[in-house]
Amino acid sequence: MAPPPPMNPMMFSTELLFTIIAVIFCFIIYFKTREIYKLTKYQGIRYFRGAFLFFGLSYLLRFIFSLIMFSRIAFDFILPREMFALLFILPLGYFSTIGILYLIFGLVWKRFNSKALLGLGHVIAVLLSIISFLTRSHRMLLYLQTALLIIAVILSFLVHKKDAGKKEKKLTGMKALYLLISALWLINLWIIDERRPFPIGIEIFFQLLSLAVFITIYYKVSKWLK
Amino acid sequence: MNNKKRDRLAVIFDILKIIRDKHNSIKPTPLLRYSNLSSSSFTEYYAELIAKEFVKEITDKKGRKYITLTDKGFQYLDKYNLILGFIDEFEL
Repeated sequence: MAPPPPMNPMMFSTELLFTIIAVIFCFIIYFKTREIYKLTKYQGIRYFRGAFLFFGLSYLLRFIFSLIMFSRIAFDFILPREMFALLFILPLGYFSTIGILYLIFGLVWKRFNSKALLGLGHVIAVLLSIISFLTRSHRMLLYLQTALLIIAVILSFLVHKKDAGKKEKKLTGMKALYLLISALWLINLWIIDERRPFPIGIEIFFQLLSLAVFITIYYKVSKWLK
Repeated sequence: MNNKKRDRLAVIFDILKIIRDKHNSIKPTPLLRYSNLSSSSFTEYYAELIAKEFVKEITDKKGRKYITLTDKGFQYLDKYNLILGFIDEFEL
């Protein structure tokens, strides 16, 4: 297989800057919510902060993964780049799937047994990362996570339909923001595909949009937890 | 506050507030009465408050047991509205 085109300095700089800012904001959100979680042990807060911890780790791994895939010199002498990249697919798949699931669990945990939900989440995350590892493709991870997100959205609408009598809005601003975080993760995962599906301008647009979402969440968290 | 978990946060707040309003010293029996909980629920919450170190038991020279708030208990009372606001804002 022909190596992918190398990462030019512009791509590298934007990827690096984007990753640093995204990871910092994710980790700040995680640490800022530590005190109220320790105080309350509230499951919803646990899922919320966990989601940002795992998204932070996922964006960090995504950057390392893309560096390996687009590096020209570092890896092909001893081991092919695909083998190095494969090592990162397992944690990348696991952390990012858990990140998506924790955002969903934060919204629905009251309806389910929390231990069962958590167990199911970890099983799904392990399964998705193993399948991606075995198929040697981060594209497979992208497809599986997209399917997972679509299923989660359909299920949440079905559950909502069942509870139609309750005065609960179908799609609130916060739910839309959670959906956007997950969707942007999938797009950002797609961006590092060997074939680079978007021109650099579009890549930067999605990265800026992702940062805007993280900063919005950070701002909302800071409003309550100064 | 229409779910069980949110109620749990509110019940803990109510119990801690009763203790604070009684000059941070109250016997277990009046606390049970003021809390408007069943005996079994109260025992469950009380065990949780002790385990989370929100309250502690003090025994005086005559062997009478009193319940007082710890710093963590005061902190919970101070931050309760923030916690509720946060949970509402993020729909958790």
